Formats: sequence, C-alpha cells, structure tokens
Amino acid sequence: MILSTHDLGWSPRRGEMIVRNLDIAVREGETLGLVGPNGSGKSTLLRLMAGILTPSRGDVRLGGRSLRAMARREAAQSIALVEQHADTEDRISVRDAVEIGRTPWLSALSPWSAADDAIIDDALRAVDLEPLAARDWTTLSGGERQRAHIARALAQRPRVLLLDEPANHLDIQHQLSILDLIAGLGLTTIIALHDLNQVMACDRIAVMHDGRLRALGPPKDVLTPFLLAEVFSVGVAILSDPEDGTPILRFKPL
Amino acid sequence: MSEAIVGANGFQPLGRWIASLLKAAAILIAAALAGICIGETRIPPETVMQTLANRLFDASYALDPIDEGIVWNYRLTRAIVAACCGAGLAVSGLVLQSLLRNALADPYLLGISAGASTGAVLVSVAGLGAGAISLSAGAFAGALAAFGLVAALARLSGGNAGVQAAGQIVLAGIAGSQLFNALTSFIITRSANSEQARGIMFWLLGNLSGVRWGEVGTAVPVVCLMLVVCLAHVRALDAFTFGADSAAALGVPVRRVQAALILVAALATAVLVSIVGSIGFVGLVIPHAARFLVGVRHARLMPATALIGAVFLIAADVLSRTLIKGQVLPIGVITALVGAPAFAFILIRSRRLR
Amino acid sequence: MLISRLAVAAVGFALSASTALGGSTAYPISVTNCGFTFEFKKAPQNVVSIGQGATEILYALGAGDNMAGTALWFAKVLPEYEAANANVARIADNAPSFEAVIGKKPGLVTTQFEWMIGKQGVVGTREQFRDLNVPTYIMPDDCEGKDNLVGADGTRKGVYTPDFLYKGIGQLAEIFDRQDKGANLIADLKARQKKAAEQAKALDLKGASAVFWFSSADLDLDPYVAGKLGPSAYIMKTIGLKNVIESAEEWPTVGWETIAKANPTYVVIARMDRRRFPADDFQKKLEYLKTDPVTSQMDAVKNGRILIVDADAMQSSLRMVQGMEKLVKDLAERKK
Repeated sequence: MILSTHDLGWSPRRGEMIVRNLDIAVREGETLGLVGPNGSGKSTLLRLMAGILTPSRGDVRLGGRSLRAMARREAAQSIALVEQHADTEDRISVRDAVEIGRTPWLSALSPWSAADDAIIDDALRAVDLEPLAARDWTTLSGGERQRAHIARALAQRPRVLLLDEPANHLDIQHQLSILDLIAGLGLTTIIALHDLNQVMACDRIAVMHDGRLRALGPPKDVLTPFLLAEVFSVGVAILSDPEDGTPILRFKPL
Repeated sequence: MSEAIVGANGFQPLGRWIASLLKAAAILIAAALAGICIGETRIPPETVMQTLANRLFDASYALDPIDEGIVWNYRLTRAIVAACCGAGLAVSGLVLQSLLRNALADPYLLGISAGASTGAVLVSVAGLGAGAISLSAGAFAGALAAFGLVAALARLSGGNAGVQAAGQIVLAGIAGSQLFNALTSFIITRSANSEQARGIMFWLLGNLSGVRWGEVGTAVPVVCLMLVVCLAHVRALDAFTFGADSAAALGVPVRRVQAALILVAALATAVLVSIVGSIGFVGLVIPHAARFLVGVRHARLMPATALIGAVFLIAADVLSRTLIKGQVLPIGVITALVGAPAFAFILIRSRRLR
Repeated sequence: MLISRLAVAAVGFALSASTALGGSTAYPISVTNCGFTFEFKKAPQNVVSIGQGATEILYALGAGDNMAGTALWFAKVLPEYEAANANVARIADNAPSFEAVIGKKPGLVTTQFEWMIGKQGVVGTREQFRDLNVPTYIMPDDCEGKDNLVGADGTRKGVYTPDFLYKGIGQLAEIFDRQDKGANLIADLKARQKKAAEQAKALDLKGASAVFWFSSADLDLDPYVAGKLGPSAYIMKTIGLKNVIESAEEWPTVGWETIAKANPTYVVIARMDRRRFPADDFQKKLEYLKTDPVTSQMDAVKNGRILIVDADAMQSSLRMVQGMEKLVKDLAERKK
C-alpha cells in the first residue's frame, strides 16, 4: 500500500464538501483509473493526493505517513502530478520545461549535476521528445505538450504518478499513444479518465459520484449496467472485441 | 553532455559564472562612469577621474572644490541610487510577473506608487506635519499603508488555493490603487495651488535630484538584501512557469514563497519610491527585455534583469539631465519615452521568433 | 502634462484708449484687458478679488467698500489695509469655487493670476464669467507678455517691467473712479524704486551676480529659483546684480550643480509664513546652504553673502519695491 486516503474530505472555505468519506488504498505498481461524471470530485481527489490541497477531514498517507507531517518538497520527491490545464505563455524550451521537474531534488547544497542531466535525458527519451528538446514550448502541438508534461513529472523521479485526464482534447491517435506511453512506464499510476472504454486497461478503477466513492475494483466487475445507469445515467450494451475479447461498452440513452 | 546544454539550464559551471559576473560588473561600472561624466554642467573627464582618485585612493590632485563636490556628492550618488532603483524595480517587476503569472504585473500593482503619492501629497499639499516631515517619509508611510490595505484585502477575499490568491492580489491591488489615487486627487483639489501641485508633479514623475550619500546608504543595502532573497528563490520561481498549482506539485511551499517574495518586493519598492518618486515603466518593461535576451530561466534571467534595469536607469538619468539644456526633465518621462518604443520593438521581435 | 502645455495663448496688448491718469472717470467706459473688453456704466459693486496682490491694490485705491469677497491669501494683509480687509468676507484661503464667487453677484472679478481665471483657470475661464455677464480683470503683470500655458508657473515672452503693474493700477483706478489715488500710488512706487536704484548704484556692485531661491519641494531636491525675465530678475537688474539663471520660466527648477558652478556673488533666499515644504523656512535654507558639501563651497556661502527677502517682495506687487529697498539696505550694510 503506497498511497492511501483515510476518511478523506475537502470543502472550500465556508462551502459544501466537494469530496467526502474517501477510503482508497493504492497498491504499489498498479494503475488505478478514476472515473465519474463531471463534478464528481476526481480532480479534487488527485489534488488532495498530490498534497496541493490540504484535507478538511481525514488524511492522505504516503507509505503510511501522513502528507500533513511532510514538507512539500519531500512529498514532491515521491508524488508527481500531471494537471489538466497547466500551460505557459513563456518562450521556454522543452528541455528547460522538463528540467523544472528536478525542483524538489535541488537545493543550495545539492546543485544541478551531471546526474540531473542524465535524468532529463531519460525522461525525454521515455516520452520520445529527444528530437524536440530545443524547441520552443509555444510551438508544440497538444500531444507534444502532454508528453512534455509527463516528461517533467518523470524528471521528479516519483514513486506515484497522478494524471488528470491526460488524453483530453487530443485526437484519437494521440490519445492512444499517450495512454500506451503511460501504461509502459511501469509506475504506480492514478489516472482520471473520461472515456470509459479506455479504463478497461487499468488494474482497478474507482468510481466517484457526488464526491463519494461509489465502487472500487477491477473494471469488468465494477462497470455493470446497473452502476452505469445510476452514476452516469446511461444505458449500456457490453460487447466484446473479436480480436482479444476486451469488453466494449456501447452507450445509449436510458 | 555538451557545454551548450549545460549552459542552457542557467546553472553554469563556476568559471563561466565568474566570467559572467565580471562582465556584468564591467558594464555596470562603465555605465556609472558615463553617468558621472555627463551632467548639467561641463566637467572634464580627467577632473572626474582625479576626483575619484582623490576620494578612493587618497590621491592629492588639486581640484576646484565645487567640481570635486559635484562629482563626488551629486553625480556619483545619483548614479549609484539610479542603478539601485533600476535593479530593484526591475527585479520586483520580474518577481511579481513570475509569481502572479501575469505579464502586465509591475511593482506598482501592489498600490505602492498610489500610496506613496498620497503620503507625499498629504505632507506637501495638505501640510501634514507642517514642514517637519519630509516628502520621502510621508511617501514611505503612504506606500506601506497602501500595501497593507492591498495585502489585507487580498487575504480577506482570497481562496484556499495559490492560484486564486494570485488573482485576488491583482484585483485588490487595482482596488487599493484606485482608492489611493482618488485620495490624492481629493487632497490636491481641496487645497493645492500651482506651486505645490508642481512640487508634487515633479516628484510623482520621479526625481533623482535630491540624492546624496544618505540615500545611497539606504538604497544600496535594501536593494542588495532584496536581490539576495530573490536570487535564493530562482528555482522556486522557475517552478511557477506552469502556474501556482504546478509549483506546489513540484514541492514549492507556494503560499510562503508568494508571501515572502511579494513582501520583499513591496518593501524594496516602497523604500525606492520614497527616495526618488514613482519612476514608471522600469518594473514592467525591463523583465521582458531581459527575457528576450537570456530566456526565461530565473538563474540567468534575474541577474540579467537587475543589470539591464540598473544600466537603463543610469542612462535615463543622463538623458533627463542633458536632453534639454539648463533644465532637468522628470526621469519618469524619459523611461516612458524610451521604454515604450523599446517595449514595442521587443514585442514585435519576439513575435517573429515564434 | 508639463510637456503637453504647448498651446500658445494669444495675449492682447491693446491699451484702452480711455486710460488717462488723474481726473475723474466719465462712465460708461470700456476697458480692454488681455484680449477681453468689458464696459462699465458705473464703478462696480460686490467685487470679488482673487490673489493677495490684486486685493491689496484695490485696498490701496480705497475700493474696499466696493468689495464683497476675497480669496487666495499667502500672508497676513499689510497692516495699513487691516481695517478695510476686516469688512470684506474671505471666501477661501486658497482657490475659491466658481459658484462661491458667482454667489456674491459680483460686478467685477479681479485676479492676480491667470491660473485662477483664464484658459486653464482653476476657478473658471473668462468665458464662463462673461456668459453670466460678470466682467473679469487679470493683473496685466501676469497675463501680458507671459504665456501661462507653458512651464509650471508660466513662461515670460519678454522682460518683465513694472509698467505692467502700473498699467493694472491705472486701469483699476479708472474702473473704480479713483484715478487720483492711482496716480499717486504709481508715482510713489516709481519714486521709491528710483531712489533704491540710485542707492544701489552708489554701492558699485560691478559684475556682482545673484540667484533668488524661493523654495524647494524637499530640501535636497532641485530648488525653485527666479527665472531670467520675471519680477525678481527685474529687481536684480534695477539694483545692478546679474541673474545666473538662464531659464525664461517664471520660477524654474534648476539643479544645484548648475547653480554651484555658476557660483553667484550673492544668494538671496525667500522668507515666508507658509510652511508646506521644509525649505519654506528660511532658517532651513540657510542651514542647507552651509551644510551641503557642494553649496557650502560656493563663494557667496563661504563669505556670508546670503540675503533674506520676503517672498511677496519677489513677485510683481505693491511689495516689490519694499524688497528692493530691503536688498539695497542689506547690500549697503555688507559693504561697510
């Protein structure tokens, strides 16, 4: 159990609880999919897990230790987050943008070294962006920017990688290649996804509904017509891919 | 690992770092010397050099005491304070632009210039303190009061997250500046006559004429301290490239860094404004010029911003004293007249490079 | 804003044909004043006067009973006019509002300065008053031969002479049918000036130069000094002192560097009741001159050639001649 939440809840100041009573334990090495309708609390949960938000109730633990007791820097050495809307107007090169991922590891006593350069090279290689390293951020396509963000997260050398709808707004080819890339990293990954067919590749999925955890388990067990009707208000026919037998969800109005 | 790539991240090997430092110092000293040699009246460069030799190395050239006094007490102090103001305002602008992710942020966004004006007007026009309080003391108190109000407003209205806090401080700054500008106008319309209004006008547009060694003793330590604090945060500022949340995810204690750096920028600006009046454009434009030249990584960007700001303000001061013979233009007029076209040029060039 | 004031004011030099000193006024008369002509059927009543200099001229002419209000005071009224002043309402110590002036139903509004009533007048424009059938009179020493839209306190287009002041006294005397008093006043001013100039000549000040320091926004800042064409320059010229300041502005801001290098024989500093800027206090001015590392090296400071004159005596007013007399007296004492 690498990352876990315990009776986790969060509300803005003087506001209603956005997420509540969350008890999720993420296993080392697994890929956990986060699904739920818009506004169900997926992004809030990811931000709580990354330690960007401080819980209003309960806590998030990394390897059993509460994030509350940890310096931000220490948490960032273990947890990396790829946000949905992070972007910049700066004319920064791809390599520079990825180098920023080393921030939690650097200090006056441990300045930039050749080891850091090697880590950046690895990260760029892992997302196939080596040839574009010198390019300006603003000249990148959406898919390339997403890869660069992932490279920056990898440069943190995290134990847990959190991704908030990384395939959003990409065309289908790039969606598949990004998801393929993430699956190949071999990291403990928690990924919020919009497309329910894409979560089939996850080891387990957590279904969020109105800020609560509605179900948690392997996709095939969880995504039942009953749950989909209740949480997403859609009907579904479950088909099967003739090539490999993967279930395919075909949605229809209730 | 190629040299070029190591250099590109801004964290250079020690040898090259020292070389850059020497180059920067040479540029700064050359600019300051030009500032000392050129002035309202003609003083030959050798007199300038002999004065410096007399004062710095105990040489004993026989000089006209008035010439020596002008070089040592008026022009040198002026050049030093101009350099401090240029560096301080430019770095304040850079820090705010980076922290708030707003290309239009400048140190006066925090209500400092508006508050300083109100304080100065209270002293000089409304007659607060009956001549016992100096213009600059009034300006400093006004700047602090306005920044306090803006900070309190931003805090009261701020959300939990860093991003919201950044937006709130921009809004609070605008509200606070408007309030203090209105107060200034109110005081002026209530009680000003033309001579007072012009005394304040002259000061509002920036004025280095009152600078002596006492001001050097204030400006140099304040700006040095501010530069040290800001330079210690270059990595944290880099982490803000993709926003405050992204910085938090990279382990930066966002609220603490924001609070500390905004406070330092505000205090330094308040001190500088109280010495020389509100010189516009430097805090807004110089960081963009520096980005155009050395890129966006703060380890290089911040020293470059400080150096360009210092040289720019020394040059603007020389221009303000020499453009019209026998008359000194407000330096704020020069920074805007020179700064605006330069800014336009940079905008167009950087557009083409994309 | 300083730079934008480049519009040039057309200033009328036309002298009213009926201006003749002595005798009594044959109403109706028409008076031309800086581009505006007004007709008076009788001596105006309920007059409002803005600016101490103009107000004191009206008192000197004995027109106090015709007045309903005053504004813009710099110092205490001259002792000889205290009684007259006690009967006239003071609308404001500084600039009055347009409506407060109009509320007096004035038959005439006089002003010492064009920046009060004029093209950019803070009280109003002359057209605004004319639309309400209120004549306005600006002292010719401020509106003739001077462009008040250039420079902070206006810029002279030619050399100031007291003839502008005398013309104003004469025209006001005619408007109020006090021509004898006016003529006497002018004759007295001329005689005193002449005497002061003669005394100064006897002092043999050949080649001596001076700077008139009015005040500074802050002690270390560049000071406001008298320009080369204004009343202070006229005083210097009459006495035989050379003004080291080159600017045509009335009260330009000039750097200490320029002043110190010019190294004038005398430094004349203004004494005033006002305490807005620290440098308003003449003691502070003295202290500055003696302690600043550069000004303390000036010949005038090293040799104690610092003269003190009332600020009002540096402007075009009845007090100007007093300033002249005081300066000559001080110069004579130093010569002994």
